[in-house]
Amino acid sequence: MTDEVESLFSRPLLPLANEADAEASCAAAAPRIVAEGGHAYVVHVIEKAGGAPDKASVEQRETVAEDIFSLARGVATEAGIELDTDLRFGTDVGDAILDAAEDIDATAIVFTPRGGRSWWDLFSGDVRDRLVRNSDRPVVVLPAQRDDHSETIDGET
Amino acid sequence: MTDEELAKDLGPLAALTIGIGTMIGAGIFVLPGAAVKEAGPLAAGAFVLGGTIAIFTAASASELGTAMPKSGGAYYYINHALGPLFGSVAGWGNWMGLAFASAFYMTGFGQYVVTFLPVPSLSIAGITISGVKIVALAGGALFVFINYVGAKETGKLQNAIVLILLAILAVFTVFGLLNADLAKLRPFVPPDKGISPLLPVTGLVFVSYLGFVQITSVAEEIKNPGKNLPRAVLGSVIIVTAVYALVLVTVLAAVDNSLVAGNETAVVDVARHLIGPVGAGAMLFGGLLATASSANASILASSRINFAMGRDQIVSSELNEIHPRFGTPYRSIGITGGFILLFILLADVGTLANAGSVLHLIIYGLLNVSLIVMRVSDPEDYQPDYRVPLYPFTPIIGAITSFALIAFFANTIVLLAVGFVVFAMIWYAVYARGKATKQGILGKYILSRSEQIPDAAVSATTSVQPDGGYRVIVPLANPESEADLIKLAGSVAKARNGTLVGVHIEQVPDQTALESAREEFDFAEADELLEQARIDADELGVPIETHTILSHRSFEEVFDAAETYNADLMVMGWGPDSHGAPGRAESAIEEMTHSLSYDVLVLKDRGFDPSRVLVPTAGGPDSDLSASVANVMQEFYDSEVTLLHVADDKQEGEAFLREWAEERGLGDAKLVVETGDVERAIESHAADCSLLFIGATERGLLSRLVRGALVLNVVDDVECSVLLAEQSRKRSLRERLFGSD
Repeated sequence: MTDEVESLFSRPLLPLANEADAEASCAAAAPRIVAEGGHAYVVHVIEKAGGAPDKASVEQRETVAEDIFSLARGVATEAGIELDTDLRFGTDVGDAILDAAEDIDATAIVFTPRGGRSWWDLFSGDVRDRLVRNSDRPVVVLPAQRDDHSETIDGET
Repeated sequence: MTDEELAKDLGPLAALTIGIGTMIGAGIFVLPGAAVKEAGPLAAGAFVLGGTIAIFTAASASELGTAMPKSGGAYYYINHALGPLFGSVAGWGNWMGLAFASAFYMTGFGQYVVTFLPVPSLSIAGITISGVKIVALAGGALFVFINYVGAKETGKLQNAIVLILLAILAVFTVFGLLNADLAKLRPFVPPDKGISPLLPVTGLVFVSYLGFVQITSVAEEIKNPGKNLPRAVLGSVIIVTAVYALVLVTVLAAVDNSLVAGNETAVVDVARHLIGPVGAGAMLFGGLLATASSANASILASSRINFAMGRDQIVSSELNEIHPRFGTPYRSIGITGGFILLFILLADVGTLANAGSVLHLIIYGLLNVSLIVMRVSDPEDYQPDYRVPLYPFTPIIGAITSFALIAFFANTIVLLAVGFVVFAMIWYAVYARGKATKQGILGKYILSRSEQIPDAAVSATTSVQPDGGYRVIVPLANPESEADLIKLAGSVAKARNGTLVGVHIEQVPDQTALESAREEFDFAEADELLEQARIDADELGVPIETHTILSHRSFEEVFDAAETYNADLMVMGWGPDSHGAPGRAESAIEEMTHSLSYDVLVLKDRGFDPSRVLVPTAGGPDSDLSASVANVMQEFYDSEVTLLHVADDKQEGEAFLREWAEERGLGDAKLVVETGDVERAIESHAADCSLLFIGATERGLLSRLVRGALVLNVVDDVECSVLLAEQSRKRSLRERLFGSD
């Protein structure tokens, strides 16, 4: 342990759930990472059923992950930030994100709220809530730019 | 644990219970009544016969599954082996077969519910919907919803459900055995009908043997598939057949036939008779669990099949969009759900069972044929861990019995099956053929031996080959030339309403396995290059797909990729370090470039500027390609095109060139005829132009270029960019079949 405190955005980890989320989180975090001269890390977790058939094919969700990552890379390249991607498999999305943060010793876990209809969380599970409760490192919630995609962020199509 | 281990987390028991769970619901809880009514105790024989037919196909499915543990299972194997025409039949058959089967399971579920919960029938606009169907619709909607939102707890319940069911049935059988009286089994064969009901009843109960093939649809998730997949597939068929036969025989030995025959929930009444109300309750509970788990597993499996179909462009890949919140293929599940509800409404329980069976029998037959095709053509990457015993007898018997059983269904059902196959083939011809790109092993095999195989077969094969529109493949190696290549290739693709295929070959050192390279390598640079290509193609308004290919080879892989992605045209850059050093084996390149099935444009890039294009021509096929590209340049970039012809006689030359230009739609081009040395003429006119086209004057331009044996001083002497064109060699075959196009 050093006494020196690192800035929150010098090694932030952005968990990205879907393309809209990737767009919002990366756009919101990029200027702050640039300001700190930080190195961005993004993680996407493919949820596994752990011994039962999954809700969607792994290969299918790997394609989704690739789309999410390429979006993130696009934002990073434009902003001139170094970015590393991490694709994980886990039965618990929250735990997998925390593991990813641990592995890179992230300075913060950063996301934007996705808002909307919390009762759906009954089925999809509230990962963010779990992150806030269980994380041993800072969790930063950035306001998403609400002008363009606020509906799609909720993911209802 | 590695990612690989995490991604493949279905153990042997889980894989086995997918099979058993999907099958056991129908056979023992819904069908005994109808089967015994038709065939008496012989019904047990029908179950055994059904299981025997299934086991042959199960062996074939196991071998194919261990060779290709991919999502989509049976559909994938058939599409891979027999090509997308049969792929379309298999995909649609498996999808709709599962929807019919799910509707059947749900109707069975309804029959169980109404025994304890009287649901009134409903009349809307003169149409009466029975209570059973109302429950079936509600149940169907519930399981579709569960899969739509992807509640992950349901998957884990499957193991428990199957174990509970087996336990209930074991207890039930023991009670049956204690009361068994073998005399009740006689006459085993109904005296009035004889053995004739055996095959029709086998057809009826065959819906009990659909589950094992659903195991293959989640093959990519199975741990150690080489071992666990065959065990689960074969094991589930054997266990289920044994359970069906044993339960039915003990039931019929323990009670009078009349208690079972025509009774929709026969096992409940038999249990009440043998064990009392507790037994009846347990069997009722079992019936609900079994039909529910069958339907749930079927809905899940059908979304995998949709995904695999979308991957091969048999259906729109939009069908397979993943829900941003639930992470489920919600559209696929929603549409499958719609079909299930529709089928429940439209058909009675017998028709649903028959439709589900007959569609699966088509798939089973095709699966066995696929296995034979794979064995005969023996492609290099076909390395199954499990091989069917007694090949070729096993798949041949499997194919014949599966197809033959179809004949014993009612005429309307056979008609439905035929109509369905016709529909799927028309679907392929009208919708999918223009989009699908993946060629089957069978098609490749026939076309590669076109000399030895009768023309009619070659012609038939060619006419059903996928034809994913006009496809222009662009191998991308470095960022400097990327934009120019995309501009050039994009304009040609756009002129033909085609698609760009950007590929980047990542060369992996020989000592590194490709699989581990996939995990360890950093692909950021490749991703950026391909991302840029996507942006540039978007600007041109041309659809593009991009692929990163890992290979131990570099240059040679380009040609393989062009074949794989079904290219009509390859546009590549040529420079000192464009595509790595060509491999050591020159003969291999000779071989590859000897039979080009696509046109090739090679750009010696000195800055892509199509404003002033020079096309020297002496006639001949390769200058045709130059002419058509010049046409595109004219249309797309307003290029000023100059045609140059070097002739001995100026007047004759002018006449030739005028005619040549008119025929190729270049009548408005500037025509220049020179006499004397060809190279000097080209060089002097090239000084005024920005892009020089060179058609290969003889065959083998590309291979000589690759070997560095091409001594075309012109290319080095001029200052503008040079485009070398070489036309496909396969033209002659295609011309023979279709005339020129």
